[in-house]
Amino acid sequence: MLHACRLGALVLLVAVRGSAEVAFTSPGLVPSRMDDQGCLVEDWGLISVKLAGTGLPPTAPVAVQEIKLDGRIPAAQAQSQQGNVGLTVTAFRAPVWPAGLDVLTVRLAETGGQETPVQLSLVLPETTQAGSQTVSIAGRPVLGLPAGLAPARTMREWGWADEAMALPGWARPAVECDPAFRNIRAGIGGVPITYRFKVEPKEKVDVVLGFCESYWAQAGQRPVICQVEGAPAQEVDAVARWGQHQPGAVLFTAGDANGDGMLEVAVLPKPGAPDQNPILNAIWLFPAGTRPNLNQVIAGKLNAAALRYVAVGGTNDQSLVAGGQVEFPLKLPAGGARELTFLVACRGSSVPQAGPSAWTLEKLRQSAAAVWRDWR
Amino acid sequence: MKAVTPVPVSFPKPMQTPHACCGCLSRRHCLKLISTAAAGLAFSGELFPALAKSRKADPDYVDPTRFRPRPKVCLDAAILQMPRPYWLGWPGTTYNLDQRQKEYRSLLRESCRRLAIQLHEEDKPIETESEFASFIKGIGERKPDGLLVILQHMNCWGWANRLANEASVPLVVFAPIGTSFTGHVAGLSRQRGVYVVSSLEWPAVEEGLHMIRAKRMFEETRVLWIQGKDRNETVLERLGTKVRAIPRDTFNQLFDRMPVNEEVKDVASTFRRHAKRVVEPTWQDSLNSGRTYTTAKRLMTDEQANAISMDCLGMVNAKLIPTPPCGAWTMFQDMGVTCGCEADLFGATSLMLTSYLLDRPGYMNDPVAETVKNRLIAAHCVSGSRIAGFDQKPAPYILRSHSESGLGVSVQVLWPVGAVVSLIRFQNPNELIIDTGIVERNIDTPPAGGCRTSVEIKMNDVEDCRDVLGFHQVVTLGNHRRIVEAFCQMYGITVIHSPEHSVRGKVA
Repeated sequence: MLHACRLGALVLLVAVRGSAEVAFTSPGLVPSRMDDQGCLVEDWGLISVKLAGTGLPPTAPVAVQEIKLDGRIPAAQAQSQQGNVGLTVTAFRAPVWPAGLDVLTVRLAETGGQETPVQLSLVLPETTQAGSQTVSIAGRPVLGLPAGLAPARTMREWGWADEAMALPGWARPAVECDPAFRNIRAGIGGVPITYRFKVEPKEKVDVVLGFCESYWAQAGQRPVICQVEGAPAQEVDAVARWGQHQPGAVLFTAGDANGDGMLEVAVLPKPGAPDQNPILNAIWLFPAGTRPNLNQVIAGKLNAAALRYVAVGGTNDQSLVAGGQVEFPLKLPAGGARELTFLVACRGSSVPQAGPSAWTLEKLRQSAAAVWRDWR
Repeated sequence: MKAVTPVPVSFPKPMQTPHACCGCLSRRHCLKLISTAAAGLAFSGELFPALAKSRKADPDYVDPTRFRPRPKVCLDAAILQMPRPYWLGWPGTTYNLDQRQKEYRSLLRESCRRLAIQLHEEDKPIETESEFASFIKGIGERKPDGLLVILQHMNCWGWANRLANEASVPLVVFAPIGTSFTGHVAGLSRQRGVYVVSSLEWPAVEEGLHMIRAKRMFEETRVLWIQGKDRNETVLERLGTKVRAIPRDTFNQLFDRMPVNEEVKDVASTFRRHAKRVVEPTWQDSLNSGRTYTTAKRLMTDEQANAISMDCLGMVNAKLIPTPPCGAWTMFQDMGVTCGCEADLFGATSLMLTSYLLDRPGYMNDPVAETVKNRLIAAHCVSGSRIAGFDQKPAPYILRSHSESGLGVSVQVLWPVGAVVSLIRFQNPNELIIDTGIVERNIDTPPAGGCRTSVEIKMNDVEDCRDVLGFHQVVTLGNHRRIVEAFCQMYGITVIHSPEHSVRGKVA
């Protein structure tokens, strides 16, 4: 009897899990896979799609199968029915030069004939850092969020809130200084570098920004505009002020000017500058009126006295948004459906930084179909 | 400004790079075809001056003209006007609408015929909101590659703006003088996805059609990326060009099997015969260069490719081939087939731009600062010779060895002193550098080292030659800044120029 029960349970398990994992790729590239639970497995971690909502069961059986999109493109598809919501997760490899990108489409269909509010979650590794349009892990953008759809976010007390890229070890300071000067975040493509810090509403603080330019030897190539809330904007040309590979710091007498309890620090490219990629190495926040000695700040001797010390692009840096999960509150109309598309980094690739990407879902699929059509 | 359809006064003589009678045409038929091409009456693959082929019928012969992409290009076009009769308001009562519209329709049809563009033309001018709505609906259904509207009243600009924002198709707006003020043009002419011609110059409108065709050519191109060990295929963002990576050894292994046949001998002798001078290359070098040419043709055929970007220096360094491909690449460039050096993929796409948009070859260069005279020296061992256009007289060239290795066949193309050149470089699919300058002299090797085609350029609008941006920028004859910038605006590519003013400062 016990044996029969175990056998029955096993049969049930097989039935609810559907087929085994499915691998998919583009010609000549390393495959990604969807596991038997419908999770996308990448070299940087696993993406799991979860659905929650009033009246919806917490879990549902998942059937994973291999399909061909447009009759040609190998893809993996997971389907489940949670109450009156059908969930279909489809993934295929788009042949984006140079290493490809996975395209994850999540389709939610209301089948019960009544409007249903749901919360769609993408469960990600805890170490992920969410920006406004992409999610990164160790500085590598790994997930592109759908345009025009803001996810619900859990905010931290401070962190970056931009689409800049962390480049640890990029700078090579020629003198002894705080280790923060070895790392940067860079706004590739002219993206502003933006940090936000929780402060008391209207609180005043002294802010020090640290720079070390190790690419340009010549002044005038990468001047940046520093906008620290409550302080006049300052132009900083690190090579002109301190020279190549020389750490330097700039003080701002700042404060929460708009009274929202957050202090914003931004570094932007100077319009018309030859290099439009702003960089930043370090941030210190000191109590108002400290007027810290900048040489000591550069030497790292005042870190303990700082309210905040950020090695930008370094080990203590973080996103303003807590990682681990991206959530989308959605309302499904009666009998209607919603579809969300995410770009996902696969082995050897990163998702495009925010900017004027020409890729659309239609073009990605057309490209995949064209490549498979002629491949032999 | 680029002349859109060059019409030479006479057929260039003598032919300096060889041409092919591909398909064993009679001499009379051949000359007729070439003359037609030279007159700019038709410009298709069949009419490229191409290389000599074997006099014997060879079943393995590969027609090189087939590599140049010939995409299907669809254009929707309409005339926009207000209900007649016209009274006050531009273009005014005296403007002969019927005559102008007949003229522009005729020019449009001729341009489309010349560029092999399929035209879907609205039979009647659009003059009401419902007709306009129907036009937009039709565009959504047909999904053309481009859209052209000819404005025939100043009050039609609202429709032009709506097309730019709603049609999701690259848009060419032709506003003949008398249908706009600066205020109409200022905004829309700078909008992404749009090219506005406020002028009476029809060739400028045809440039817009060139842009649409060039983009489709990028999309139809599969470039063989011969480097490393991997075999895969990907697609370039925005340009849509397919990149097929194949292991580098594929080329040299095929080369090893490539025989010295009649075609190889013809290629070798023709290339030598038309040279102004032959310095280092031996007959054996020329045969090897001919084998490189036939190897590349065979490989492109096998891989359904239209272009090549190859790690040539790596192969020479590893002594896998007896000649760098420089000579063969020059021949391909002259036929409108892109073959780029050093597996620099964006060097190759920059060459494609000059080929597809400007109908002429160029050469990707290693930039050198001449600090005494403040000049840029652009040097490489490959350059097309038909630098004024595929159907134009070629520039003289000297056959040399590849300078760095002393091997094989390379060219020193002598660029015309005093001519304006453009330097064009895709940094990536979203960003392009363009600068212009004037050729001051051709530099010989020796006394210089470096590369065989070596041209000294006085840069325009760049104070200090050390500040010229990019590497492997493609040098091409003519000032193409306006059309290249317009192409970039049409397809969302950011344009960068080298700094106009020198940046002097503290240097560590």
